[in-house]
Amino acid sequence: MTQIGASIAFGICAAWVGFALAGLVVPVLPASLFGGALGLALAWPFRRNIVSTGAIAIFAPFGVMLPALALHHIAISLGLDAPVFSSIEIAVFLLAYILFLVAAFGLLSVDLYRLGYSPRVVGVMTLAVCLYALATGNWFLALVAVSGQAIWAAGWSSSNWFDTVLHVTLVPIAAITLLTRLF
Amino acid sequence: MALLWFEGSAEAQADVDIYAVRLEKNGGELAPGPKHARITRSGLGQAMDPEQLVVTLGNTIEAGRPNEVLATIVSIGGWAMASVADIKLGPDGPVRGRKLNLSPFLNRSNLVKSPLLLFEDGHRGLPSYFELGSAYGVLARINGQGRVCDTRRLTGSGKPIQPMIVPLNALNAVAFLRDLAGSGQLLISRSFDGGQHWTSVEPAGLANPNAPVAALLLNEDLILVVANDDPHGGDRLSLLTYRPSTAAWHHLRELEANGVNARYPVLRLNEDGTILLAYSTGNKTGLRLHHFSRSWAEAGGE
Repeated sequence: MTQIGASIAFGICAAWVGFALAGLVVPVLPASLFGGALGLALAWPFRRNIVSTGAIAIFAPFGVMLPALALHHIAISLGLDAPVFSSIEIAVFLLAYILFLVAAFGLLSVDLYRLGYSPRVVGVMTLAVCLYALATGNWFLALVAVSGQAIWAAGWSSSNWFDTVLHVTLVPIAAITLLTRLF
Repeated sequence: MALLWFEGSAEAQADVDIYAVRLEKNGGELAPGPKHARITRSGLGQAMDPEQLVVTLGNTIEAGRPNEVLATIVSIGGWAMASVADIKLGPDGPVRGRKLNLSPFLNRSNLVKSPLLLFEDGHRGLPSYFELGSAYGVLARINGQGRVCDTRRLTGSGKPIQPMIVPLNALNAVAFLRDLAGSGQLLISRSFDGGQHWTSVEPAGLANPNAPVAALLLNEDLILVVANDDPHGGDRLSLLTYRPSTAAWHHLRELEANGVNARYPVLRLNEDGTILLAYSTGNKTGLRLHHFSRSWAEAGGE
């Protein structure tokens, strides 16, 4: 299941990159078709190439949030309705996530990452995210939290819940999103 | 029994594979059979779940299960970008491999070097270490499904890596660590609650110029240690004992003098009560084995 999950997640992320690059020269619809074809090709029939195996080696486990954000972005670009994060939410997330990574590097004495192995703590964290999503009406966030916990509990991805709902590439993505909104 | 090592043009290069020889008794002496490639990078890459690129291989240890090892693998960059892979071996090489989840930073940078421990509940304890900018030791708990279900850090003085953990009994354990910061001292930490908490890492009272160490429990208050204890930064290798109750070191004998460049010792207690010691020589260009009795070691090597 890890292989299938990683291939799907990688295919979506590859589609996102293809969509973004194609979107520089063609309209949204053909760009999304090109991205989808690219992601499908790299994830399945041509998966045994150095780009696919190298990307999976570097970026796996992809988790849920990264491919979900990719689909979210493509869907909104195509004019579909989906909740968006406010700039304040992104800024708070970016700050908290950087602190989390700094702690993981051993630069803070507290080890936050190990909380993601504990079923009880993960249950509390998922509930907290869902309550926040309910309060703000952001069904996308609740969907990521719940599906992340489900995949984690089923053993289909990382044994640490944080890996299913976060990804280190979210740091540049959040930073760039913030910068584009500010300037 | 088999002996595994990594071999290539140089450490961390893209031509390193894991080799093995089977050791068999020949007239009372242990003799190595012919060597063969046990884990190749391409073979492991195809066996990985998910399938992925593996560029180089490093320290490999027994996984506490038949035909299974835990190996340090790298897909990009140097050792700081390494991950730990749980590898199931078949007759012709890896049949399944999976990275252990030990870090939120793209599942890097964790490495292994020291042997596994067994917990009373059946979980396995993996001594590993984080080495990316900062450095600290880690004791990871692996459950019956082979998944990491908890980790504990060993932090304190210097940059403690390569924890060599010796359980004294169900609750007490000693960890010896190498100081990547170059203090010239071997480091030590202790646990009194079955590895749940560890004392702050501190100097162990033995010179050690940032070199790997091996240790093996002889009895509840005597640990056999193989380490470079040269206070002048040389590369000699010594056989020592450490008594946890008094924190006293006793030098048994010099195994290799300066100039041999002996490193990466590994100790193993065999089922017949004998002890096998292996280490690399000539800046990791050769291997040397010693085979001796436990009683000889307990008697101080006399």
